[in-house]
Amino acid sequence: MSEEVYVTALNNTLTEIKNISPDVKHSFIFTDDGTIVARDEDIENISLKKTMHFFQHLVEKADSIGGLKALAINGEKGKLYISRVNDMYLAVTTSANADVTYLQSIVNVIVPTILKLLKTVAPTPLKFMPSQQFVVDNITGLFAGDNAQIDQERLVEWSNLFDEKNVNEVEVESFRGKKTTCGVKKISDQKLQGKGLILLPEKTCRILEIKKGDFVKVKPRSS
Amino acid sequence: MTSKNEFQESPPKNKFQQQNETLHLKLQNIKTEKEIIGYIIRDAKSASVDIKDPTKIIDYALLASTLHDSGESIISAFELGKVNNIVVEGKDVKVLTLTIGDNRISIFMNKNVNHNTIYKDLHS
Repeated sequence: MSEEVYVTALNNTLTEIKNISPDVKHSFIFTDDGTIVARDEDIENISLKKTMHFFQHLVEKADSIGGLKALAINGEKGKLYISRVNDMYLAVTTSANADVTYLQSIVNVIVPTILKLLKTVAPTPLKFMPSQQFVVDNITGLFAGDNAQIDQERLVEWSNLFDEKNVNEVEVESFRGKKTTCGVKKISDQKLQGKGLILLPEKTCRILEIKKGDFVKVKPRSS
Repeated sequence: MTSKNEFQESPPKNKFQQQNETLHLKLQNIKTEKEIIGYIIRDAKSASVDIKDPTKIIDYALLASTLHDSGESIISAFELGKVNNIVVEGKDVKVLTLTIGDNRISIFMNKNVNHNTIYKDLHS
């Protein structure tokens, strides 16, 4: 089963949870390393990025209480609940008056069941490739082509993560949430190597509504 | 001869001092419960730590501080207003964190303790 199917199944699960309990405002699922596996479409990227950053910080300090199994924040305008589900975390935000105990009882049954089911269908554990951040530079000239260019070193690292398969495509996402997929090869200009850059053709920049110097998140894909 | 000071009444405590004293008394009382591991209370000027296992003090203090700061940052990312309380659960221990006045309080307890009762006690 492909990563896309897995993600779609989890996204559908989140939608169903929202349908069952209208108190749920947002929900998302993420892995230990902060990779977002599934999310509802309404969440802003900046909120997720901020949450991941502070949550990781908290996880580091939670060793003293035997790791972080659940986190509940009760705010004046709403609640946020993050719980460990198998080897992932499920986060839900709700309205202030939501019955979190009831919600937890639903969520803690549905999500593990779906994850168990997916594991049965796809016994090989899926590797969620963490996206990495790059600074955009433009490829110009007649032979620019349609491919993105990234440091050779990074391509080798990703290839190792994919059991030595070649990484020949990347998913590029702007911080406004616009995404596109394009071919990838190593940076040909030696002067631009080792600087954490991704060189993108102008056409790709237009699709993503980004320009030179912007940050993008890049996720490798192997064929 | 008796010094003048012995006859002087101590200045009347203001509402803020009285609240703080009551809060400390409540925490000491909570701490007597078997399932309570201890607490940390700090304001802008001072901190008071009472944890049953002294080897855990530094780790718990770091966790409490991170919990306050990260909790506020996470909830602000979703515009859920001011934090009323935070509960984090580990394998065997859970922590209730809240702010009363200028005091940031973290109470460490076994997982089976009802933290809502403690929260209500502190706010009563």
